[in-house]
Amino acid sequence: MSNNLDDQLRGALRSVDPDDGFSERVTSRIARHSRRSQWSAPSGFRWLSAAVVAAVVLGVLMAHDWQLRREQQGLDARKQLIEALRVTGEKLDLAYRVVNDDAHSAASENSGA
Amino acid sequence: MRLSARRLTLALILLARMFAMAAAAVPDAQLKMPNFDSLAAKASNSVSITLDSALLGIAAGFLDSSKPEDAAAKELISGLKGVYVRSFSFDKDFVYPSTEVDMIRKQLTAPAWQRLVGVRSHKEQANVDIYMSIDQGNANGLVIIASEPHEFTIVNIVGSIDLQKLHRLEGKFGIPKLHLEEK
Amino acid sequence: MTEAERCAPEDSLSRAAAGESAAFTALVRKHQRLVYSLALRMLSDRHKAEDLAQDVFLQLHRNLVSIESDAHLSFWLRKVTINRAIDRLRREPKYEIVSLQESLALVSEVRDDDLLLQRLLRDLVGRLPPAPRAVVVLRYQEDLNPTEIARTLSMSINTVKSHLKRSLAILREQVGGADTAGPNPTAAKLDPSTGKQRSLT
Repeated sequence: MSNNLDDQLRGALRSVDPDDGFSERVTSRIARHSRRSQWSAPSGFRWLSAAVVAAVVLGVLMAHDWQLRREQQGLDARKQLIEALRVTGEKLDLAYRVVNDDAHSAASENSGA
Repeated sequence: MRLSARRLTLALILLARMFAMAAAAVPDAQLKMPNFDSLAAKASNSVSITLDSALLGIAAGFLDSSKPEDAAAKELISGLKGVYVRSFSFDKDFVYPSTEVDMIRKQLTAPAWQRLVGVRSHKEQANVDIYMSIDQGNANGLVIIASEPHEFTIVNIVGSIDLQKLHRLEGKFGIPKLHLEEK
Repeated sequence: MTEAERCAPEDSLSRAAAGESAAFTALVRKHQRLVYSLALRMLSDRHKAEDLAQDVFLQLHRNLVSIESDAHLSFWLRKVTINRAIDRLRREPKYEIVSLQESLALVSEVRDDDLLLQRLLRDLVGRLPPAPRAVVVLRYQEDLNPTEIARTLSMSINTVKSHLKRSLAILREQVGGADTAGPNPTAAKLDPSTGKQRSLT
């Protein structure tokens, strides 16, 4: 059984080719990556400073935006939670009323009999 | 085509594993909610709430512990892993999605689920079923299916639900007085 | 014949390191099957595998100067692919949705019992934890011995052997007697009607 399992595992895990055009996709991705790298590595200290400042400002704006979205998400979640608790309480109350109605109806029938 | 015994065994193993994986893929006591699109199309108002454990954590972070009602809510949800609500209001009477409800009831079978309450009221013209999921003696899920003349609601709470803690919230956040006996 | 095809394999490494894109493309074509297959067997998803394989070759392009030989290149590619796959697996959520329709279709479409067993084995290997999965894949896809696996994964040989032994025991238990030929195989150690089976961890 061991040999058979070994053979079956080799068959199961045999290597396969990626979809056609894989190498072309890799080289075009490398080319895109290289273009981005060239743009972000300018010559001259002055350009580097401007790029760093721009990156920091962008980072701060993104963090602020993220914070606002997070806060909104939290408030929305709180609101949904409260609504969910309200609905749950409402339906439990309905169940109680229905049970109570049944009990009162049964009691009335018994006393009338 | 007649299956060989070997092929049948392999097929059953693969399928059983897929069942086990699918079952393990969903946290305990969480229902697979059907698509209520057809019902939503007829509804005058619909509420859809999906709060998984991550969102419950976020919500808890926005509850103010210095306020008694927020603190009580925070305590209530501390044991929860998910809260899911689908509620629809209608202008017409008795729009009841029997196909979707059947799909939900099929998931609420013993031994994982027990029906605690199943009541029908002629006066209120309402039906309410309450199911609880018990795992090793602990309640870890609650489902309420409520059908009224102009409203249909499903509530699924996943996790350790303490109804006494919900009782402490009555009168707050619009939660009605719950007729639960204090233990 | 393209420029990449004209580039002899033994020249490719030094010429790619010198910046020749055709030489690099030749390297990619030579090793893409290895990298993609490792990624696929680890991640069990063609799209994720292609994405990871592309990442690996992008990283290779940035590190070509540090590659000393063809043998070093193969070692480097295996190591980086497996490590990236393990990182990705550890970051992924633990739950996944499985389509029962797909599995039913598979069972009815695959006619060959060996192919069905191999499909099952791939599935089971894909459910092993990341480190044992890597050991099994390197052993049975790449035919590496425990010493080579240990070097690739920066593990001790004893750990490799332990992962291999335990994983094979689990796989053997899961498929039970279903991999033996004959009309009456021993019953699998599962109850198909309840779907209960032992954890792979």
